[in-house]
Parts: sequence; C-alpha cells; structure tokens
Amino acid sequence: MSDKYKGGQILLCAGTFGIEGGKRAGEDQVVETGVADTEVKRVVVVGGGSAGWIAACRLAAQVRRTGAGVGVTLIESRNVPTVGVGEGTWPTMRNTLAKIGIAETDFIRSCDAAFKQGARFVGWTDGTPQDGYYHPLNPPAGATEIDLAPHWLHRGEGDAAFADWVDYQAMLCDAGLGPKTIVMPEYAGHANYAYHLDAGKFATMLRDHGVGTLGIEHVLGDVLRPRMTDHGDIVHLELADGRNVAGDLFVDCTGFAARLIGGIYDVPFRRCGDVLFADRAIALQVPYDDEDAPITCHTVSTAQGSGWIWDIGLWSRRGVGHVYSSAHISDDAAEAELRRHVGTAAQGLSARRISIEAGHRTRFWQNNCVAVGLSAGFLEPLEASALMLIEASMDAIADRLPRNRAAMDVMARQFNATFTHHWMRIIEFLKLHYVLTKRTDTDFWRDNVAASSIPDGLVERLAMWRHHSPGPQDFDHAREVFSWPSYQYILHGMGFDSRQPRIDPSAPEAGLAQRFVTRMQRAKDELRTRAPRHRDLLRAIREHGLQRV
Amino acid sequence: MTGITPLSPTAHRDLRYNRHAAGAARRFARLGLSEIAVAAADMPLCLVKDGQTGRFDLVALMSLVEPANLFVVGGGFQATYVPRAVLLGGFRLDPTGAAGLAIDPADPSLGGVGEPLFDEHRPTALSGDIAPALERLVADVAAAQEMADSWARHRLIRPLPLSLSKADGGRHDLAGLYTIDEAAVQALPDAELIALHRADRLAPAAVLTASLAQVERLRQLHNARFVPAITDYSLD
Repeated sequence: MSDKYKGGQILLCAGTFGIEGGKRAGEDQVVETGVADTEVKRVVVVGGGSAGWIAACRLAAQVRRTGAGVGVTLIESRNVPTVGVGEGTWPTMRNTLAKIGIAETDFIRSCDAAFKQGARFVGWTDGTPQDGYYHPLNPPAGATEIDLAPHWLHRGEGDAAFADWVDYQAMLCDAGLGPKTIVMPEYAGHANYAYHLDAGKFATMLRDHGVGTLGIEHVLGDVLRPRMTDHGDIVHLELADGRNVAGDLFVDCTGFAARLIGGIYDVPFRRCGDVLFADRAIALQVPYDDEDAPITCHTVSTAQGSGWIWDIGLWSRRGVGHVYSSAHISDDAAEAELRRHVGTAAQGLSARRISIEAGHRTRFWQNNCVAVGLSAGFLEPLEASALMLIEASMDAIADRLPRNRAAMDVMARQFNATFTHHWMRIIEFLKLHYVLTKRTDTDFWRDNVAASSIPDGLVERLAMWRHHSPGPQDFDHAREVFSWPSYQYILHGMGFDSRQPRIDPSAPEAGLAQRFVTRMQRAKDELRTRAPRHRDLLRAIREHGLQRV
Repeated sequence: MTGITPLSPTAHRDLRYNRHAAGAARRFARLGLSEIAVAAADMPLCLVKDGQTGRFDLVALMSLVEPANLFVVGGGFQATYVPRAVLLGGFRLDPTGAAGLAIDPADPSLGGVGEPLFDEHRPTALSGDIAPALERLVADVAAAQEMADSWARHRLIRPLPLSLSKADGGRHDLAGLYTIDEAAVQALPDAELIALHRADRLAPAAVLTASLAQVERLRQLHNARFVPAITDYSLD
C-alpha cells in the first residue's frame, strides 16, 4: 500500500480486495464541503467485457448527443479474461446499437451475428418426442386490442399450437426464414427480432467504436484500490502501475468479481439457488458441416435430465452449451450429455466450464457506484436476460445521468427499487418454465415443482391464471421486462390447465378475434413465400449492406 | 423474363424492332448517370432499392397507379426523351447469341413491325449497334448506382412517401420510393459539401429534387386516360 493511503485504517469492505478509507492527513485529505453540489463531470467504467463497453458507449453517445460535457473513461485489465458468453440478445439491442451509433450492417459483419426470432423449448413439458413450443418475439396478433388466448383455448380440435395460432413468427422459425429483407432499412423488419452474436467480437467492436468515434478514454491497467471520501464515495481508483483514475460516478462492470459493488461496498448478494437450481454451464463452439448450412433463426433450448442445452446459430458456427444443476449431475456426466447431444461434430472440440451463482445484489447503486452486468447478478441464460439487463440499466443511467452528487442519491433509490423488482420478476419468469412441467423422470424435474422452490408471487399469479390469461393488469409495473405475451406463450405452450369460460362464438369479440387471426394468416402466407432464407439474408447483408433508410 | 433466349439468325430471321412500341407496359425505368438531366425534363426521378442487394437504383417513374406507361399513347412514346433502358428493354447481352445478344420475345418492341434485325441470316447494322449500346447503358447505370451509394454514405437519402387522392374518395400510397434529403444536404459539413460538389454529386441531387414536380405531369396524363381521376397528391 502506498503511503498516501495510510491514515484512518477503517476497513470499509470485505470482499475480493480490501479497501482502506477514512480520514486522511495533509494534502491527501479530501475536502468534503459542497459534495452535494459536485457536478458529475467524469464517469469511470471498470471492466472491458460486453457490459463495460455497452455501458461506456451508451454513456459517451448520450453525452455526445446532449452536449452534457461529461467525460467517459473505461478501465480494462489485460489480466482478466472476459466471460465471453451471453450470446443471445433481446430486440432491445436494436435500439441500443442505434443509440450508440453503430450501423446494423457493421454489427452483423463484425460480430458474426445472426438473427434471433425467439426460442423453441424442446422437451420441457413431458419429454416426449413431439414435445416442443415457441416463445416468439412477436406479440400475439392484435395484442393492443384483444386477448386471443381465450379464443385459442376453445378452438376446434386439431388447430395449431398457441404460438402458431396467434402469430406468424413460429412459421418463420420453422421454415428457417429471416425477419426482414435486404431492402428494409437498418433495425427494421417484418417480424420482431433480436440477435445471436459472438460476445468477444461484440466487445471488440464496441471498444473500437467507443474509442475511435465516441471519444472514450481507454485505460489499460489493473485496479488496485480505491480512494474514498468520508461519506464512502469513490474519489479515484489507483491502478497497479501507480496511476489514479478519478471520477464522479463509477460503473462496476467487473463481472463475477464485482470488485466495486462487492469488493468495496460489500453489498450483500441475494442467492436464488433454491428457486433456480442451475449452477454450472459447459459451452462448446461447434462449426457448421458446410458453409451453406442453414442457420437456425431462434434459440433452441432442449431439456435434459438435470438441466437444458442451448443451441444458437451464428454466421460461422453454433454456440451450444449445457446448463445444469451440479446437485443433480456431475460435471463430467453433464459434458458427456452435451457431447452426445451435439453428436460427431463435438469430437475434438474443447469445452469451457463456467460456474454460476444464481442471484443478484440487494442493492445495485451504492454511493457513487452502480453495478451493471454480472457484478449486479446472474441467472441461467434461459431467456437471454443478461445483455438486456445491461441495456436496461444503461437506459436508466445514461438517459437520466445525474447532474450532481445530490441527484445521484435519488437516482440510486429509484434504480435500486426498479431493478430489485426486475430481478425478482425475471427469477419468477424463469421458474415458470420449470413449474409447469409434467416431467417426473429425474430428481431435477421433481425438485423443480416442489412447492418450497416456487416464489410466492408466482404461486399467486398461477392461481389467478387458472381463470384468465395473463394480461397487462396482472403486473405491478407498467414496464415489466417480461410482459403478459411472454407469460401467455409459456403457459399455453406448456399446456397450462386453464379453466377460462368459453366465449360465445356469436359474440362480437369472437368476430373480432377471427378477423385478427385471418389477417395474421394472410401475413403468414405472404411471408412464407416472400421472406428470405436466413443464411441468404445474412449473406446479402454481409455482401451489400443494409441501407439506413 | 423467363422467355429470354439467345438471338438466333434462324429462329429470329424475320424479327423486327419497333422503337416506337418500346416500354408500353413499363411503369419505371432504370436510368444511367448521363440521362438524369434529359429524363428530368419529362419524368419524376427517384431512387428504389434493388431487390437482391438493397442498393439504391436511380429510376424514372412513368406511371402512378396505372398498369401501363403513361407516356405511351397513340402508338408512340410521347415524351421529349425515352430512357435507354426502355428503348433497349427487349435485348440482353449474351455472347452466345447473334450480334452478342439475347432477346425477350414478349417485349412490345419486338415483332413483325419496324426495322429488321437480320438481313437474310446476317445481323443488320441495327443489331450490331445494340450490344455496344447495352454495354454503355450498363456502365452508365453502374455509375448512377455509385452516385446513389455516395449519397447513402453521406445519409442524403430519405423515403419519399407519395400519396395520391382519387376522385372516388380513395387514397393510394406508393411505398418504396426514395429521394434526396434536402435538409441533410443543407446540414453537411463544409468539407463534405465541397468534396461532393467536386465529385459532381450535388448537381444531380438538385435535379432529382426538382424532377419531383413532374409528378404533376403524371397526374395530368393519368387523368387524361384513366378513372377515377387523381385529384391531389402529397410528397412529404
């Protein structure tokens, strides 16, 4: 420890690295007067993975747009590898990229990206060969005007599955068709869409754009310790090479290490392993058989005996991984299961093992530090919420960047309340995928339906949804991360036992429902012939580019 | 298009080319860079996206809602300028065909009327001129596309929502058209503005913008032949 940190010796934290603070003597003493009026002039982002670069780019782009006069610095360690998973996004990524000022064409070319139109869950309901359903990204037809679910529930025998009856996107996925055409502008499509991407390439692209275009100050170095005010704010971070990086707001994007929110502030971590059992992942990067192989346009999540396997298609490879509960299967058996699932293509490929501690911080914003990304928490990647939470966090921070230190406390309270709610609801939504199962073939599935593992809020809502389909009134917040269409797709996809009353076929609403279904069917028929093959679309974009208008 | 076939001195010995019948069914034509000023004297010029590449093509509009070319009336093309893509619409470059050509037998310019393509079994001078003309047109269209690429790179292109009001109370919106974003041109930094001017990208852009006044001419031509009349239109 350097001399200038000697002094009070008050340990502010316990965690991955110790920070000393308290009163300091002489010229190093921090002047505390007027702290509340201190303007936010520099934001320091710590961490150079996807979270760090999304955070820094969102902030820098917003500052540029508004002329707010705030500098953005990102500290990246050469010695800390990024986790490098998190290869699925939500449609929100389109807005994020547009706000950052990245052309969709550049993104697709740089990040090996492909389009994602939802997820198909295979084997989750009863494990039979025909067991599968879609959670598409499109809402059901007419979602702002009518709830089609009760009409579907009382449809004629032999009619389509819910996702196929209320929307056309399942057809696009089944047929391997893209969500847009080459003549559509950037970030627009005939269907809602997100992306599958290479997380490492994504961080590199953001770094190049952030430093080259947005003027982010990029500091390479290892954070050693912070210097704190008496109020517990971070004044600057001392790097291993002796440099100090000062800031007014610090964004902790240090991943699982959580070096600021955990290491400095020791904000408790709320585990949820009693609800979501998965605590391990094994990932493989699987090459395509040939360069013209179809690219699946959705995430395929296939249930296993003690977890599930993701399969996502990028331009040049697939990302395949097994998420499982180590209490129910050994690592080696899980890897063997994954390799069996992939088949001969897995031969010779090295697998990467990742530990997951499911849960989140009890607070995300403490003093002048806010945790974003894995430092805030992590859940199994069942609905790809990791990158979305980073985006949502940065929307909240960048769009309402506090002007001074006093405003930061109000922001922190709001942010903590909002994101505590979001985490709780995401946990419930992920659990929903498990509690509706009829599988009893392994302990994993039997344990998942144990009443003690199901959050009270979910139990309450499931009871309510026996009598009506999920709707916007069923939730506390106007902006839920998973809104009612998502709940409908899972509930009805898994054959939830709903006892909703039959709607009279002669009632006006039945006619309205039929009109929406007919209109959707016309769109489906047209897209079946007009939409391009997914790989062809990506090839055209990589070769010719998309226009901005 | 499926009937495109190499020009053959035996199969097409009696085929003739009638330039006055060209383009009767064409609603728009791709333009080359050198055609901008002359085509703008008759037609609104705008940009459309190529269905295979998404790149912008420069086109001359020759109809609004009609399934016909509004300029082809009374057996002839009633305009001061006929786009070369219209005149040559019945031909394709094909090294395996006579005179280096293939033909679209369904094109109205090809039939039993007009100038012969063969003198006995030998291509006529007219046939010999067509392949070089097509090559010049291809190069000219490519030059126009490069100019549109340049406009796109500088974000000078905007959608052109063309909305028509009809006498029966109906409305018809034409989607997929693009034009120059004048506000974006005005907002260009000086250095970019000068560079574009030196590259001769701005004068054609101004002609494109001015040519939109010819939508009124299309409206008049429509109303002279078709019902319901177009009573008004908007170009936002």
